[in-house]
Amino acid sequence: MTQIKDSARHTRVVPGQPDMWAFVLFEALIFTGYFSVYLFNRAQRPDDFLPYQASLDLRIGVLNTVVLLLSSWSIARCVEAARAGDYRKASLKAGLTALFGVVFFVIKASEWVHYTAQGNGVTSNEFFNYYFFLTGIHCLHLLIGFVVLAVVIYQLRSPLRRSQQLIETGATYWHTVDFLWVLIFALLYVVR
Amino acid sequence: MTAATTRSASPPAPPAGRSLRAVGWHLRHNPKRELWVAWWAMVVFYQFFGVIFFIVTRTQPPPNPALDVASRVQWFHDNHDGLLIGFAIIFIVLGMTAPINALIAYSMRRMSVSPAFGYAYLVMYSLSAIPGMLLLCIVLTVGAYRPDRSPELISWLYDFAFLSFVGTMGVFLIGSLVWMTAILIDTNRVLPKWFGYLNLCNALTEVVVSPAWIFDRGVFAWNGLIAWWINMVVFAIYTGAFIVLLKQMIQREDFGTGPLPDLESRRHSDESTASTEAR
Repeated sequence: MTQIKDSARHTRVVPGQPDMWAFVLFEALIFTGYFSVYLFNRAQRPDDFLPYQASLDLRIGVLNTVVLLLSSWSIARCVEAARAGDYRKASLKAGLTALFGVVFFVIKASEWVHYTAQGNGVTSNEFFNYYFFLTGIHCLHLLIGFVVLAVVIYQLRSPLRRSQQLIETGATYWHTVDFLWVLIFALLYVVR
Repeated sequence: MTAATTRSASPPAPPAGRSLRAVGWHLRHNPKRELWVAWWAMVVFYQFFGVIFFIVTRTQPPPNPALDVASRVQWFHDNHDGLLIGFAIIFIVLGMTAPINALIAYSMRRMSVSPAFGYAYLVMYSLSAIPGMLLLCIVLTVGAYRPDRSPELISWLYDFAFLSFVGTMGVFLIGSLVWMTAILIDTNRVLPKWFGYLNLCNALTEVVVSPAWIFDRGVFAWNGLIAWWINMVVFAIYTGAFIVLLKQMIQREDFGTGPLPDLESRRHSDESTASTEAR
């Protein structure tokens, strides 16, 4: 009976380090603050937002979302393979995740150049102030995600390391990057 | 800056209670006295920081960056006494930042990581305090002491002071990342991993301040909801967290080189939980 209780006490409640979930919660709260400020100002002055929001290309937003969702799928497969002990496949999936991340970044950077060339730069109007801020801070999270993926691949490469907990912690971070993008996509591109 | 110190002679047992004799004993014999002095310096400094910046000088929350030249001169006039008295006190207590940085560096020296982390943090935070705090104090004091100067010069001092103070928060970013990395790779359990990740949150919000250089009105200006208010909330949570965690680190310190033991209260709680479950 004691053994059962002990094992229940040590059963993992969440994948990876619980500490990473504290980070996810805190980041979600900070972004909730950013989104609330955006939505409040948008509701107060729709004329400063809606005409400029119309110039966003929804197709690029959808493409970005699909690419990032594919990266999330890929990192989930990486965790699955690592759990099954297939570390070579797990490394490949982590590399594929990074590749999707690079594709996302290239699309996003070209989108920034495109809008700036159109006259919708960082300081051009209030909607694009928020657009560049939210997509910029998200891309910073993405760049940190590459470091996280490097740690995951480093863990997977040697039998001496291979901490399943660290691999799952890295995957949790990557899913957060995806989760935040889906919210930004919905707010900037879809809600009009 | 050596965390592990050999204590050869064991001091006499401390007197019971909170009498003057007990305080005297702790001042002479408590091996953690320097750590406690550094921790109390941190608590006292942040009290001064809060009262002087938010109440006495009224520099926090920062005033409107879009004020015209005449209003800026008026701002210096209205806050003349507060600026002079408040920053005079800051110049006196500024030295307390040294033991604060030293205590944080000590936490890294107690970890299983290279001493380079502690040294890097110490140098970076010592340098960051110049644009991140000291310049504001000096520049606004100059403005308050020289009200007869040309309004354009006073206006320039106003921009220089607040852009230096708010706009350069990013200089603290690398220090936060150094502390984060040390915590995440440490195996001595000196500070919890969630606090390592909180360092990352703090570093990211320091990046968010940078639009204050571009915008002089709205949410991205130096007094804006995003560039200042949300960041200040995160910074307050971060500061509160490390004050508590460093206190617990000192309580747990055993001057060894291996993992830090748990707090007594937590150990008792774990033991009682285990014994309850065993029944």
